[in-house]
Amino acid sequence: MKLLNRFDVLLNKLEGWLLILFLSVMILLAFAQVVMRDVFSAGILWGDILLRHMVLWIGFLGAALAASSGRHITIDALARFLPARPRLAVSVLTHLFAAAICFLLLRGSITFIQNEIAMHTTVYNNIPSWYGEIIIPVGFGLLVVHFVIRAMVSLQSFLRGETAA
Amino acid sequence: MNVWLAVFVIVLLALLGAPLFTIIGACALYGFSSTNTDISAVIIELYRIADSPPLIAIPLFAFAGYLLAESNSPKRLVGLAQALFGWMPGGLAIVVLMTCAFFTAFTGASGVTIVALGGLLYPILLKERYPERFSLGLVTSSGSIGLLFPPSLPIILYGLVAAVSIDKLFVAGILPGFILVGVLSAYSVRTGLTAHVPRVPFSWKNVASAARSAAWEIPLPFLIIGGIYGGAFTATEAAAVTAFYVLVVEVFIYRDLKLTKDVPKVMIDSMLLVGAILAILGTAFGLTNYLIDQQIPQRLFQFVSQQISSQVTFLLILNGFLIIVGMMMDVFSAIIVVVPLILPIAREFKVDPVHLGIIFLANLEIGYLTPPVGLNLFLSSLRFQKPVLHVARSVLIFMFLELIALFIITYVPDISLFLVRLFGTQ
Repeated sequence: MKLLNRFDVLLNKLEGWLLILFLSVMILLAFAQVVMRDVFSAGILWGDILLRHMVLWIGFLGAALAASSGRHITIDALARFLPARPRLAVSVLTHLFAAAICFLLLRGSITFIQNEIAMHTTVYNNIPSWYGEIIIPVGFGLLVVHFVIRAMVSLQSFLRGETAA
Repeated sequence: MNVWLAVFVIVLLALLGAPLFTIIGACALYGFSSTNTDISAVIIELYRIADSPPLIAIPLFAFAGYLLAESNSPKRLVGLAQALFGWMPGGLAIVVLMTCAFFTAFTGASGVTIVALGGLLYPILLKERYPERFSLGLVTSSGSIGLLFPPSLPIILYGLVAAVSIDKLFVAGILPGFILVGVLSAYSVRTGLTAHVPRVPFSWKNVASAARSAAWEIPLPFLIIGGIYGGAFTATEAAAVTAFYVLVVEVFIYRDLKLTKDVPKVMIDSMLLVGAILAILGTAFGLTNYLIDQQIPQRLFQFVSQQISSQVTFLLILNGFLIIVGMMMDVFSAIIVVVPLILPIAREFKVDPVHLGIIFLANLEIGYLTPPVGLNLFLSSLRFQKPVLHVARSVLIFMFLELIALFIITYVPDISLFLVRLFGTQ
């Protein structure tokens, strides 16, 4: 469990740094595009493609971190009225369910990437599309990991007889 | 597996608090597998996230909004609004409405407004001897009041999902937004008079010094609104300029936040919200594609048109339905999930998609306040340490007033569409 905790902290840090890096580049590049387009009427051609893919990367990294800190959007109309102990048990269940769905989506995205590689699709010039798309399986993989860890943490507190997640 | 059993299990898991995007993902996976389509079809649709330029605006505006909320700009803007409106009866209450509207427009009613501004404004209201129940109701309902003003993230999202021009929506939201704020302001003035709240005399000196301290933030709305309406740039470009401008102003000019210490924290915090929104959007692309494949919207419309025939009845039922949706769901998932189903029906009833968007957002604003499970009630109860029931009682009058405004907005489409026509189509 201790090892798992350390792994979790490390993974969160790594994702956090990547997220900061991507967002920083995005802010600068997006601004530079506007300046170049409006002042010099010449934006970078691949700039918009890169920006759009960064949205995807930022989205997945943000989603992975949101999974880790329980910040995903939920309709917890029912769970809100549950007492603390059953809520822990329910949280094990919902996190495992989330992990299972992300696992299926992970499998789907691996097929998707394989097809893209096989068809040699390109996103710009000679750059293969899957360079930009690889975050989809990676992202779903991260989501699986985070949801499983959350389920295990909840399970542990439940077994220890704790009352809060 | 039996369809109804699957539906039951999925709904149950949703109500128990499984992340909504996994619920939507499960529906999409179940749908596609029941038609023997490979599940990579869901991913092909999800990849559309990297294919819609307006989406770039969402992380940029979210970052700018969180950065503003984290800096001292709420204090400066409250100071400015106070100097401008403090002399009026109910002036401080109007200050609350204005500043909350500003911040909600940036952060999209994701709770940031109540947490960041409510905590600042609620004690001031009490100190100025506004009644406790009024103050609580005011800060709670202000938490979602700015949804109709640019650069509201929910408007951008609606434009994306409904394939309506975001620039047009931004124009359309202005007057309805002012009606909502106006109705509540009128009530604030009344309360200020009846509760004999002391007033601050107006002074140009105060205005000047407050304006000087907020000098770098005052241009923001003009930058966004002026830039877009003037046709200087698109919503996406406005987002790029805003994010960069806010970063420079708060970090290098005001020095409220440190580049290496605070900014990374704000970045991660805001991107958690963006990640949560995009996860839902991505999976919903898959689900919507399946639903359209199965002609679900058409079937839904056939069912609906058997029950109701007139536009007026349709709008009335839509209002009721959307308030319940707004109570159960946050505004982002409500838009992503519900709009694709409602849009084709609304079109058959001759409701303009731009007007529909405004109705949608106005409804969701009210849904946030609706007992027993409206999100703002819980946020406010947590933030101010009050029982949820007490909060719910305090917002009732505000809800009632907003319902009147909603009624006007819904049945007088010109309030939304007049300015759009005036500015012409771009």
